[in-house]
Amino acid sequence: MTPHWKFWVIGGLLVAVLAAAIYFPILRRRVKRAARLQQQSEEQARRELAQPIAINPGDPRVKTKLFWASDTIDSTLVPVTVELPLSSDPVVRSKQVLNTLLAGPVDTELRTLPPDALLLAFYLLPDGTAIADFSEALATSVPSGIVSEQLAVNSIARTLEANVPQVQRLKILIHGQEMETLAGHLDLTGAFVVNTKAAQAPVKPASTP
Amino acid sequence: MASPFGAQTQQAGLNIVVLDPAHGGTDPGARGTGGIRESEIVLDFAIQVRRALELQGFQVVQTRQGNEDPSFDDRSATANAQRGAVFVTLHISSTGLPGTARVYVNSDLPPVADSNGLIPWDRAQVPFLGLSKKFGDLVQGFLFQRFKGSPEAAQTASVRQLRTTAAPAIAVEISSVTVENRADLDRMAPGVADAIARGVAAFKPSYVVASTSGAPR
Repeated sequence: MTPHWKFWVIGGLLVAVLAAAIYFPILRRRVKRAARLQQQSEEQARRELAQPIAINPGDPRVKTKLFWASDTIDSTLVPVTVELPLSSDPVVRSKQVLNTLLAGPVDTELRTLPPDALLLAFYLLPDGTAIADFSEALATSVPSGIVSEQLAVNSIARTLEANVPQVQRLKILIHGQEMETLAGHLDLTGAFVVNTKAAQAPVKPASTP
Repeated sequence: MASPFGAQTQQAGLNIVVLDPAHGGTDPGARGTGGIRESEIVLDFAIQVRRALELQGFQVVQTRQGNEDPSFDDRSATANAQRGAVFVTLHISSTGLPGTARVYVNSDLPPVADSNGLIPWDRAQVPFLGLSKKFGDLVQGFLFQRFKGSPEAAQTASVRQLRTTAAPAIAVEISSVTVENRADLDRMAPGVADAIARGVAAFKPSYVVASTSGAPR
């Protein structure tokens, strides 16, 4: 092995280290940017899929009661009345009121549902059972606890009760799946009674919100 | 399978309290900004509640002793295996007025339609709803006296843990993990323990349940 040969090996290694030192930060930036773009496109696709039902200005404007948290009494709901053009179709109407509820009140402290939660789908069965499918954020972002989880579910149930008389019971799904609890406490395995008078034959196990 | 609730009832003395510190293991429950974890605090509360109950002469069974996370059904199974027991699940909330305490009993459940006298596991609480309400109101009454701003009577909620419990069962939720200092919660523990122990003692004379010879199916 001659010194000349050693010189070329060491020189080659130094060039490789130098190239790596220059290229690695560039590569890291590219990977980060790709991940960010992917995340943005996933979020965009999710939002497009769950596009809120557009309010049709041609629909008659009706007084709509939305239930958000009270600013005076701890852990209770109060109705806030707003005028909205609402469809007469119960499914479209339910989507309209729930999307307005999800959008939240002017005072964000009085929200009952996480700001990133989305209504993915809504169905109404012939027996009056509504199936509302929410994005995972409803379960992952709602504060964990009996009182906070109950406030979230009650705000949905009472808003439906006040504005869509066809809904008698409410079954909540998270991303299309039945969950045992919302965030560790409130039972989601059954259906919640929405309209106590109309719901004569509750399905297992029903709860009065 | 098999739990013939029904026709014949008999006086069964209340001797055992099943204490359930909620969450545990990989499930920390509610978390405060100051690093407060519900699963840890309820375990500490359980120690004080246990002591207060034992002073009243009750035997205490805990669903977990350390940082484990039994399933909802495992916790209920611990309670359902006892005779002459009540069930208390302990929680700390994420929200609500700090320094208050709420008692919850299960919301109304559809009646059990089985004609053979058996009750399904997933509705084991049904025959006990009335007793649970009475028990809950008593405990809430003592908490109301101790902690200003707490409700006067027990609330109803669809609490998963209570639904499968075949005993008078309540959830006690303390507000909240949002306190700036954990000591604020620790200071509540003796009062909560005393209220629960006094509530159980006050409930004891009215503890009359249907005779059961087995666990719910």
